[in-house]
Amino acid sequence: MDFYLGLAQIVGVHTLLGLSAYCVLLTGQVSLAQAGFFAIGAYVAAMLTVLAGWHIVPAIAAASFVAGATACAVSFPALRVKGLMLVVATLAFGEAVRLFFFNFDYQVAKGEVKIGPAGGEGFRQIRFFPENGWSTLDVLIFIWLFVALVMAGLWWMDRSRAGAVLRAVGEDEVAAQSAGINVTAVKVAAMTVGGFIAGLGGGIFAHYTAHIEHAQFGVALATFAIAYPILGGLSSVFGTLIAVVFVQGFLIEGLRFLGDWRNLLFGGLILLAMNVRPRGLIDAATIAAVKRMRTSNKEPGNARTQGAE
Amino acid sequence: MSYLDVIDTLQSVADGVLFGATYSLLGIGFTLVFGVMHKINLSYAAASIGAAYASLIVLSVVKAPAIFIFLLAGLAGGIIGFMIYVVCFRFIPQANPLATLMSTVGALLLIDEIIVHATVGIPVPYPALFSDVIVNAGPFTLRGDLMFMFALGCLSMLLLLVLLYRTKLGIATRAVAQQPVAAQLCGISIPRINGLTFVITGVVGGIAGAMIGAAIGVLSPLLSLPLTTKGLIVTVIGGLGSIPGAIIAGLLVGGFENLFQYFRGVTERDLYVMLLLFGFLVFRPGGIFSPAAGRD
Repeated sequence: MDFYLGLAQIVGVHTLLGLSAYCVLLTGQVSLAQAGFFAIGAYVAAMLTVLAGWHIVPAIAAASFVAGATACAVSFPALRVKGLMLVVATLAFGEAVRLFFFNFDYQVAKGEVKIGPAGGEGFRQIRFFPENGWSTLDVLIFIWLFVALVMAGLWWMDRSRAGAVLRAVGEDEVAAQSAGINVTAVKVAAMTVGGFIAGLGGGIFAHYTAHIEHAQFGVALATFAIAYPILGGLSSVFGTLIAVVFVQGFLIEGLRFLGDWRNLLFGGLILLAMNVRPRGLIDAATIAAVKRMRTSNKEPGNARTQGAE
Repeated sequence: MSYLDVIDTLQSVADGVLFGATYSLLGIGFTLVFGVMHKINLSYAAASIGAAYASLIVLSVVKAPAIFIFLLAGLAGGIIGFMIYVVCFRFIPQANPLATLMSTVGALLLIDEIIVHATVGIPVPYPALFSDVIVNAGPFTLRGDLMFMFALGCLSMLLLLVLLYRTKLGIATRAVAQQPVAAQLCGISIPRINGLTFVITGVVGGIAGAMIGAAIGVLSPLLSLPLTTKGLIVTVIGGLGSIPGAIIAGLLVGGFENLFQYFRGVTERDLYVMLLLFGFLVFRPGGIFSPAAGRD
């Protein structure tokens, strides 16, 4: 049972990571910096709870704000370029953050042991959950509370004017600009929100893994962050959630019985998924089909006329 | 700074520039695919390493002099490049850049895992050529294997430039890069040119993979992600779609990174390469040889 609870925790945190990339991808930008914001969130939150003795909620809130502010600051120079240049710029930023934490040594003596991030060895003493007696289930509920909050927020935003503006910039920048949208402001806002969500995910991640080190926040994690929304489709926030469940639950845990062959299948299945469903697992057509099904269930007469069309 | 320090500094820069030839080749691969298709092929560095592995397998079956390993790696790279074109690009709608980005990530993971699976995760030694030759030029020493690599890199770049600027295929490739619709109206088949571009970049990548293996001495799938990062950085610093830019940027990045490895150690080395990139993005976003304004 604990295994499934642990898996659900991983799915929750990765959903936050995926949603952070989802925000940015909506504006048509590919950002490989999400792992960097995630790392900033993880280190800041862990340092606040371990070194400053904060409670976890203000700590991850502060971590999200730091990550969001960093994202905002980075996006100004980075958004001068687009396309491949932006991919490389954000990739380089993410790697620079990772290398910064690789060289970051800030240890404080507490009693006879030294605690704090220790460069390449990582940050070990993150024990907020066990020290305060949180069970695995408590942690799980805590994580999914935030996931639900973020998903609800993004879902609501998607249906509001802000979502339409983001998608307009993503579909066609020139058209959006001529419709009076400040494209740069929209992109910076999306990056900031994305950084905020990534920082939130990172703060939670640091506390449930209890040990963070630079290698966890590399290019691989950045790629996963954009892989979730792209695989799931950008038409709905639920696409990202389904992609995370598909990747973490099915591809990584579900195929474990295949042993060594699982990893081979992993890349192959991503390739297959992109060839079969280039617009993601849940694309606009799927959503339209679901909506049609719902309306036809409510009004059987209406469905017949639709079927006749 | 004493005389010896100056010598050591120059020595490390020289070694870096020689090794930078591999970065140049990788940068050319990224830049060519971007120039022709306006797409990023993230699996390129992994495919190059894969081609180097394939050449080792062939060489273990057929007895041949070690120099053939570079030819074999180029050949294997061409085949892998074409396969990547078919699985990652051919059947995915061109208008959707995210889908091909993701499919190349899938190919990257697949190639890495095939290598891990085939070698049981153990790095494989790679034969170096002329590693016993050391040239003394005044106070400097130049490693024979690095010099050979550099010469081979320059030769392949030269051949590539001849191919692109002196042959019919090269004209067609550049036509598709400049104006796909007009090229198609002139009777050039775009899928064919795209496929051939992948074969050409694959050959270049295979040679680069073999050069990296020969310079480092071992091959490991762990090389593919750092090389992807370096190759992309070289592409951006050189200017997207610019081959001379990629060549110069590769040598620049190679020398720069070795310089900072000498001064600041291996853990901080890449941090300064990223700073160099940010410097370029802020002050010269188009790269060393930025293309004419209005195109991206």
